[in-house]
Amino acid sequence: MPKIKINGNEVEVPQGSTIIQAFKATGVEICHYCWHPGLSVAGVCRLCMVQIEGMPKLQIACNTEVKEGMVINNTSDVVKETVRWGLDFHLINHPLDCPICDQAGECGLQDQYMKFGQYDPEMAENKVKKHKVVDLGPTVVLDSERCILCSRCVRFTDEVSKTNELGIFNRGDRCEIGTVAGKPLANNYSLNTVDICPVGALTSKDFRFRQRVWYLKEADSICPGCSTGCNVKVNYNEEGLWRIRPRENKEVNGHWMCDVGRDSYKFVNLKNRLVAGKVGQRGSWQEVTATDAARSAGLKLRETVAQHGPDSVALVVTGQYTNEEYHRLFTFFTVNLESNNIFHWMNNPETTKDFDGLLFRGDRNPNTKGVVDALGSFALKAKWEDLQSQLSSRKIKVVVVAGPENQAVFPDMTEKITFFAQAESMIWLTAGQSEALNQTGAETWQIPLKTYIEKSGSFTNVQGKVQTFKVGTTIVAQAFTLSEVVELFSGQELNWNLRPHSLGGVKTNYSIANRGAL
Amino acid sequence: MSLVKRPTASAEWFLPGILAGMWFTLRKMVFNIFHQSKMETLNYPEQKYEYGPRFKGNHVLTVKKDGSIRCTACMLCATNCPAQCIKITAAESTDPTVEKYPIAYEIDVLRCVFCGFCEEACPVDAIRMGPEWQTAALNGSKFTYDIQQLAYRPQLKGGIVSVLDDHERHGAGI
Repeated sequence: MPKIKINGNEVEVPQGSTIIQAFKATGVEICHYCWHPGLSVAGVCRLCMVQIEGMPKLQIACNTEVKEGMVINNTSDVVKETVRWGLDFHLINHPLDCPICDQAGECGLQDQYMKFGQYDPEMAENKVKKHKVVDLGPTVVLDSERCILCSRCVRFTDEVSKTNELGIFNRGDRCEIGTVAGKPLANNYSLNTVDICPVGALTSKDFRFRQRVWYLKEADSICPGCSTGCNVKVNYNEEGLWRIRPRENKEVNGHWMCDVGRDSYKFVNLKNRLVAGKVGQRGSWQEVTATDAARSAGLKLRETVAQHGPDSVALVVTGQYTNEEYHRLFTFFTVNLESNNIFHWMNNPETTKDFDGLLFRGDRNPNTKGVVDALGSFALKAKWEDLQSQLSSRKIKVVVVAGPENQAVFPDMTEKITFFAQAESMIWLTAGQSEALNQTGAETWQIPLKTYIEKSGSFTNVQGKVQTFKVGTTIVAQAFTLSEVVELFSGQELNWNLRPHSLGGVKTNYSIANRGAL
Repeated sequence: MSLVKRPTASAEWFLPGILAGMWFTLRKMVFNIFHQSKMETLNYPEQKYEYGPRFKGNHVLTVKKDGSIRCTACMLCATNCPAQCIKITAAESTDPTVEKYPIAYEIDVLRCVFCGFCEEACPVDAIRMGPEWQTAALNGSKFTYDIQQLAYRPQLKGGIVSVLDDHERHGAGI
């Protein structure tokens, strides 16, 4: 562990780390573009200049290893001037279109200019014109003028996704990022290039122009897209969720996440959600509050157990809920109702073991391991075939289904709903709306549930790592967690003071909402 | 603590004050009858006062030389607006020289406080506040101005051309 001095403060850093890593570890500010902790060192931006005692010239911090007794500073006037005019060179051909640039507000250039630049530009030449709005592939758009050629995206496709689509073409100030002719940037990790782009050169087609980033708030969560359980940041505002980006966790996902996981904000938004309770059958629904639906469903459940015994009810769970919810739900079934009819609905048993070698897994549930563990700890061994035989022999009167919140990953939804509807009554707990429920003849209670961003809990990922997450925002105010539903099922009351308020859009002034009705 | 201001002794003698006021009114009335051209009031609504171009009245969205909307949907006006009355929906343009443009630009003029911050925030002279000030309408819904109203209303005679032109700026190397 070499001891070095950074700006006069003595620190100890691990052997073999570079100066920029030492700066990051000690929290000292340093200007840099091309260096990224998840990628190799390129050393092309020349902005992380530091002065090392005993060396005649300035050195770049990203490509210089620390040695015992090094005395480093980046606050001297020489360093400051070098960084300032280095920035000027970067900005020579950079267009000043921040107002229409999607990166504005989270842009490396804007931040670094305010911290380290603040010069008056002395460039008299015209800016070099390059290609704008280049379609790189199904997910990413390139603006070559804004690119400062840090080569982060090129290194990403070389080293992480190993697909080698991107490259730097031409020479000098005509340099441009591009793809080899006819080969689009189309891999499952392409949107990571947008995240690591320090300027607005690469933008996501999905998020482009939809929101300015300063309108969005950020919450930490766990991606529910597959059983890897990538750590993510979710951007949301009053209208709902807008995008998901990866959060660093070296043990799970490093700095990256897949494009499929980035889509897992869509089913959370209001237009795809069940917003209130529904009671009825064959498409004739009576809208009730979620609380009333849960209370009457619980009454039905308890009456059935009292009349026909505990074997007349069954519970079907998917791998999309938290460990805490499973525990509460299984306790209610096994202890209160004394029923052991608990079944695990696997959406894709044939692809469960698939893995693409980086992050994305074939098991598209965040908590399959959690539900299997919970079933094991309650010593529940019911098989799917038992459910089939008991449903067809009409032994099961009420089936409670904790359906999937991300319905897109359950291709057998319609088929399974028809299958469950063989029972007399069905209690359907889910976050989304399901068209297939309109066709079934069983007496059905639909009770809205919260999605991953609206509740706290923990997922167990495929490695067996239990990752906790907290409430980010609320989209559907009436929705419950499974634990809350169980409270209402068992005839108890919730603490109504702790219920969330609905978002209800930006302006809810009565006179404005009813304008035009004079 | 509340203060109660009691009438002073002199204020109890109100009649001289009233008479003085009525004498002023009478004097002005007689003056106006004989010198109508020097009257200080207008016969609204037959006569209307024209404010100068710097008056902060109804908003105007400027247009380019080809008549299309100048706004680039950067949302700086909406961000700067203290009354939160501007709502913009951005979209990708089919025109290759234009990247981003507003497909909807709405100003809720009943919320607007006419502070002029939108005009100040705009980087491309796309929104101005004009001299129009009569905003009466029959129905509450008429107070949400859309692009058609803001840029192409009949009073503007086909739209006001913005001073900032992209082709000129690109030609100048900006």
